[in-house]
Amino acid sequence: MRLGRDVLDGKLVVALLNALPALLIGSGLALFVGIPAGFALGRSRALATMFDPVIDAVYTIPPVAFVPFLIIWFGLYLWARVALVFLMSIFEVIIAVSTGARDVNPGFLDVGRAFGARGLMLAWKVTLPAMLPFLFLAVRIALVRGINAMITAELFFAAVNLGFLMNDDARRFDTAGLLSVIVLLALFGLLVQEGLKVLEARALPWHLREAA
Amino acid sequence: MRTLALRTSGVALVLIVWELVGRRLGDALLAPPSSVIAQFVPQLLDGSILAALGGSLRQMFVGFALAYAIGVPLGVAMARLRLVDALVHPWLNMAVVTSVAALVPLFILFLGTGFWFQVSIVFIAAFWFVILAVCHGARGIEPRLLEVGRAFGARPLQSFSKIMLPALFPYLFAGARIGLTHAIRAMVVAEMFVIVGYGALIHNAGLTVSTAPLLGLILLLMVLGIVANWSLTRLSRLLAPWYEHRAGG
Repeated sequence: MRLGRDVLDGKLVVALLNALPALLIGSGLALFVGIPAGFALGRSRALATMFDPVIDAVYTIPPVAFVPFLIIWFGLYLWARVALVFLMSIFEVIIAVSTGARDVNPGFLDVGRAFGARGLMLAWKVTLPAMLPFLFLAVRIALVRGINAMITAELFFAAVNLGFLMNDDARRFDTAGLLSVIVLLALFGLLVQEGLKVLEARALPWHLREAA
Repeated sequence: MRTLALRTSGVALVLIVWELVGRRLGDALLAPPSSVIAQFVPQLLDGSILAALGGSLRQMFVGFALAYAIGVPLGVAMARLRLVDALVHPWLNMAVVTSVAALVPLFILFLGTGFWFQVSIVFIAAFWFVILAVCHGARGIEPRLLEVGRAFGARPLQSFSKIMLPALFPYLFAGARIGLTHAIRAMVVAEMFVIVGYGALIHNAGLTVSTAPLLGLILLLMVLGIVANWSLTRLSRLLAPWYEHRAGG
């Protein structure tokens, strides 16, 4: 009921739309940095042994613990939120992409090499298509974690958009209002996740056939 | 030998870059490791930080233990009984994408900001991930094993404790590991929101001139996470070395 009313009067929709830039920039940056980094870690055993322990270690730090640090660097508004979104998704992107790059069937690579593909061409024509499912996974993780980070950031930095609505509702002991924001976020997260799954099924039908 | 050298060089490289960049930027923006050690270690030895961490961990463990104790049977039930699956699965899907931070204001209204608030935030954060891991494992139990049990006249409860639990062992540990990671995260989220315990220390360290104490507190959390992961892995190897090949990962 309440969700319906707030969505209809536009308050929630506007807040959600205003929240999106931080999500898109942050997840976009995380993918932009994380995909090449994950690719390098997945394809080079030396790099992986060097940096896997560091990445695992930093990954165990609860991202919210960085909030005071991010305030010092980025202030309280858009760029601080972007930074938290980036931090919360980058490691999962790296892990997903490097797993994918590591699992590429060596047979494919051999065939590629036999046909004379080397270096970048091998990466572009063989490795990358072979790990497409993992790239989709990386995008999905980046966005779902990003949505998570987005609302966290709006609550922990300056309360704006959805975070402001939540604080405002909390001050008035308005649990229905709070719940409607939470439900909206959950639905939005599910929508993004399932939407990307459908897209993946469309784009990579052979992958799903193999899995089934 | 080569692995060890590479590993150390990776860590060393990161530390050196951090040190150089930190020296350039100064303590106010990014304290280099040398000043983090110089400033944080005396604070740590003072004991109040560890006392705060201990207090926070106690609440975290209550929440995590509850989540685990309820999550494991529910995860198994979800995998084996269609009705439970139908009831729980939609909530599971929704909960996994929902941010714990978004639940914090709601929980504060219901429970205040005390002990039970933190316990329940940790509970809700770890609960679904425990279920997810256990349910995934229980789906994969070979039907053959259960049939053999039935052939020998095992009752449902017996087949749970004698067949399913041992078969689930690697997943029980995976669930514990994932759940614990999320529990620690949720602990920090809850404490930083209401500014108590270890979270308050982090929050206050953010207000000081130097970033060294703040980075020290963050690193301490990292050490905590690593120790937790490492000891769970060790424990699972000690208890069931024969699962080594499956549990890695």
